[in-house]
Amino acid sequence: MQILSRIPQLLIYGVISGSILSLGGIGVSLTYSILGFSNFAHGDFMALGAYIALGLFALFTGLRIPNTPFGPLSFGFGFILSFILAIGLTALAVVLLDRILFKRLRRASSIILMMSSIGVALGLRNILQFFWGPQPHYYIEKIQLARVIPGLNIRIKPDQVFILIVTIIVIGVVHYFLQYTKMGKAMRASADNIALARVTGINTERVILWTWVIGAALAATAGILAGIENKFITPELGWQMLLSIFASVVLGGLGNPYGAILGGMIIGLSEEVSTAFISTGYKPAVAFIIMIIMLLVKPTGLLGRRR
Amino acid sequence: MSLLTGESINSGYGDMEVLHDVSFHIEEGEIISIIGPNGAGKSTLLKTIFGLLNPTKGRVIFKGNSITGLAPDRIVRLGMAYVPQVENVFPSLTVHENLEMGAFILTDDFSDRLEEVYELFPILKERKKQRVGKMSGGERQMVAMGRALMLDPELLMLDEPSAALAPKLAEIIFERITAINETGVSILIVEQNAKESLKLADRGYVLASGQNRFEDTGENLLANEEIGQLYLGG
Repeated sequence: MQILSRIPQLLIYGVISGSILSLGGIGVSLTYSILGFSNFAHGDFMALGAYIALGLFALFTGLRIPNTPFGPLSFGFGFILSFILAIGLTALAVVLLDRILFKRLRRASSIILMMSSIGVALGLRNILQFFWGPQPHYYIEKIQLARVIPGLNIRIKPDQVFILIVTIIVIGVVHYFLQYTKMGKAMRASADNIALARVTGINTERVILWTWVIGAALAATAGILAGIENKFITPELGWQMLLSIFASVVLGGLGNPYGAILGGMIIGLSEEVSTAFISTGYKPAVAFIIMIIMLLVKPTGLLGRRR
Repeated sequence: MSLLTGESINSGYGDMEVLHDVSFHIEEGEIISIIGPNGAGKSTLLKTIFGLLNPTKGRVIFKGNSITGLAPDRIVRLGMAYVPQVENVFPSLTVHENLEMGAFILTDDFSDRLEEVYELFPILKERKKQRVGKMSGGERQMVAMGRALMLDPELLMLDEPSAALAPKLAEIIFERITAINETGVSILIVEQNAKESLKLADRGYVLASGQNRFEDTGENLLANEEIGQLYLGG
């Protein structure tokens, strides 16, 4: 019974890790369905966002922009500002990357695109390592104490509540965009069938631009949130999560952004709950096993459709 | 001046030439049916007209201007719409969203046009909030045609609109095609269901092995014994 009593706490960790996987997964899913390839660089977009935030935060601290913590959180205005600007800069960097590289490969096969993305992944990670080194960098050095939720035997840190709230807001905005804006609908249409979208007169180049912007913005958000949760970041941050993200996307149904959210939550929860029974080192294996089972039972995923 | 003219078109996929020296013309207000056996190049012809394939020889002229080699998203702005044979709807979008996507290039209000399309297909108005992926083949075909009509095109090209439909549904689709034509849209239709499509056509072409074999009014083609034996199943 010792094990079972730990489960509510692990569910909290699972939802937090699931939030980060979901945010990463939406971009992978959109890139897959609209551009037609598995983007191996997506994890490194997360790391890029996390490092841009780190750089901006150091700059703002140097400029004496105040960072007095907001209420119980461990950071304040300076960090939030870095967070928001890093999202925009990451999106800009990824759009530039598209202009320089992926745009030239628009008609290339998915294998060529995938291989190119592996090249981008290695390149980005090494650039980050070149500037910041392989060692961990800390967003916030101070240790935050967890609060106990009375009666539930659950401990949660204010920063973790922040992560959950940011995730809910961001997913709400993405949902609104996809369902109610013209570009969002065109994005879903292109994800369904980009050839038909073109024949219909939809400006698919603009759809692709928005796909990168949204994917990169969500990746940066996920990377920074992962940094807040772990307290530190390394250039490997996103790459290490990429397998779990791919598993989430496959589980939810490739090409369906809502599937990526659902899949991310399930993978996050499974990985964390598994630690009650097996060693923490097996977390990626849990994601991998779930992905394999899903591929065997229903290759289109939970929310996927037949092609 | 013809609405659309094809002049000695050669076209195909990569090195494989499917169409050899095909010529045709469509006048304003006509329904033209192109019939022929499987693999005759009917779909290839529509794809070539719409810029999905580039002809290796010949020209496509729409409203007096050459559109040869233009991309589909340019051609659609000139007043031509195309409904592919398969995968012609966005399944995860609702009926209403599919029609909205048809009007993507319009920046002003298109609600009047939407009402006109719903008038042509009343069932779509009833089901406007339904996801198209869950609809029947006949309903999907209506969504596909409605989507193509959103820009009020002068020419509508349909690739086998009755394929895989029960006879009764096919009949409804053909009846709607006539109704669309009566609103002033010229129609180019490619069909396996040759008899039915020739009945509603003003003129028809018989395509075989990538070549234009016959050209006549729909009635005359139906009455022609040779065509009857070769292409209409006796």
